[in-house]
Amino acid sequence: MAITLERITPLRGLRCRACQVLQPADTRYICAECYGPVEPEYDLAASDANALREKIARGPHSLWRYADLLPVAEPASHFPVGWTPLVRAPRLGAAIGIANLFIKDDSRNPSLSFKDRPVAVALARALELGLDTIACASTGNLAGAVAAAAARNGLRAFVFVPATTDEGKIAGAAAYGATVVRVLGTYDQVNRLCARLADEEGWGFVNFTLRPYYAEGSKTILFECAEQLDWRLPDHVVVPVGSGALLTRTATAAAQLRQTGLVDDTPFRIHAAQPAGCAPVSDAVLDGYREVRPVRDPNTVARSLAIGAPADGDGSVGIIRASGGSAASVSDAEVQGACALLASTEGVLAEPAGGVVVAAAKALATRDVFDDNGSVVLYITGNGYKGTLDAGLLKPPIAADADEFRAAYAEVLG
Amino acid sequence: MSVTVRLATPLRAAAQGSASLSFEATDLGSLAREITARYPELAARVLRDGEFGRFVNVFIDGEDARFLDDGDLRGKRTVEILPAMSGG
Ligand SMILES: Cc1ncc(COP(=O)(O)O)c(C=O)c1O
Ligand SMILES: [Zn+2]
Repeated sequence: MAITLERITPLRGLRCRACQVLQPADTRYICAECYGPVEPEYDLAASDANALREKIARGPHSLWRYADLLPVAEPASHFPVGWTPLVRAPRLGAAIGIANLFIKDDSRNPSLSFKDRPVAVALARALELGLDTIACASTGNLAGAVAAAAARNGLRAFVFVPATTDEGKIAGAAAYGATVVRVLGTYDQVNRLCARLADEEGWGFVNFTLRPYYAEGSKTILFECAEQLDWRLPDHVVVPVGSGALLTRTATAAAQLRQTGLVDDTPFRIHAAQPAGCAPVSDAVLDGYREVRPVRDPNTVARSLAIGAPADGDGSVGIIRASGGSAASVSDAEVQGACALLASTEGVLAEPAGGVVVAAAKALATRDVFDDNGSVVLYITGNGYKGTLDAGLLKPPIAADADEFRAAYAEVLG
Repeated sequence: MSVTVRLATPLRAAAQGSASLSFEATDLGSLAREITARYPELAARVLRDGEFGRFVNVFIDGEDARFLDDGDLRGKRTVEILPAMSGG
């Protein structure tokens, strides 16, 4: 059953982000000394930046091109994840007041969200450990990513979501063959149930027992941005925040890119984007980088970001502060308007999390956060076709009649 | 007032391997003092300045203790201590 992979990465072990103790990369998923989060650590100093750049350039068109900076080797069985487009967004930039704007279009992944990245790495670890079941607690997108990865690899999947999760996402996860468990309550209540199940079932729970590996996958979005900018860090990145894993690992990725010499040590500011109905991290940043206060009852159209008690919340605030970054929280109306604007100006149809990022970028631009005229990358992390669209804004249907068409659409025709 | 404290697996090593412990406590403050007295290794990991927090979440009969401002344990049965983890 167990598939043994040759470990090609120079992994040193897992280091605790809090107490800094280096520990063996066994099945532990939190620090044995302080219960803090542990992160894989690599022997990076020895690498020659030019040789590494060439090796990456010859690598697969997927996140596995960065295998030297990941804790597990690529599984032979999985589909390609990552290596998504980084595109200039001049029309959107003009509309929201940012001169040098880029979109990292991570809505183009196998299950249509960036969650395929952390899952690819967690899955590789699950296969390495010989597990036959993977599982997750999810606000929607992770469920789809886990379900798809399990289907692709012949594993069993259990996914747990709040009962209020976007229906299209639930249906998608079920179509992939996962057992979808809808739980009454908030994501944080689902999370508590899963923390217990992760403990008691021997499954690969991607965001619990496999978390140190899972979180590593989120680094690859910045690795790609840097490579796509000809090995430079952008000046700014705007990151949607749920649990804070993507934001904190964006900082880890920047540190590793600098440490290996893949990029120069240029200023790189990380900004958080959250919906006003669940903005524990943005609120903490805007309130003087204070401690995160959990939100009991999140209420937002951006349900994928509705995590009231983010595990990497305080970590995110610290990183934003250290990078010289800021944050914004935006209303549901702004989110929906921003989704429409992104789609109509750049041809990228995002789910509400993307609208949160675009609306937050606009708010940050208004506050002159980007007044250095530097490059600004927006992480667009989920696809609008995942069942979050609402046709309610459309006009009623018309008869197949040219006059009726011209009458009904007079203001569009001008 | 007796409460049962359930520990997640990774936390048990600091409590001589026990999955659940029994304490006499009327609120989280007195529970923290009891844990400090009986299980100093566990206390060193789950408490910061005498309060729960750091990298664990505490649930009182299923409710996140951070949403219960008084931490009252009278009439409560179970306190669950879980590593703080979540994600999307
Ligand atoms: C589309 C989308 N973007 C961003 C996030 C935030 O990721 P994280 O939980 O790593 O902060 C999530 C999930 O939580 C998501 O589904
Ligand atoms: Zn530690």
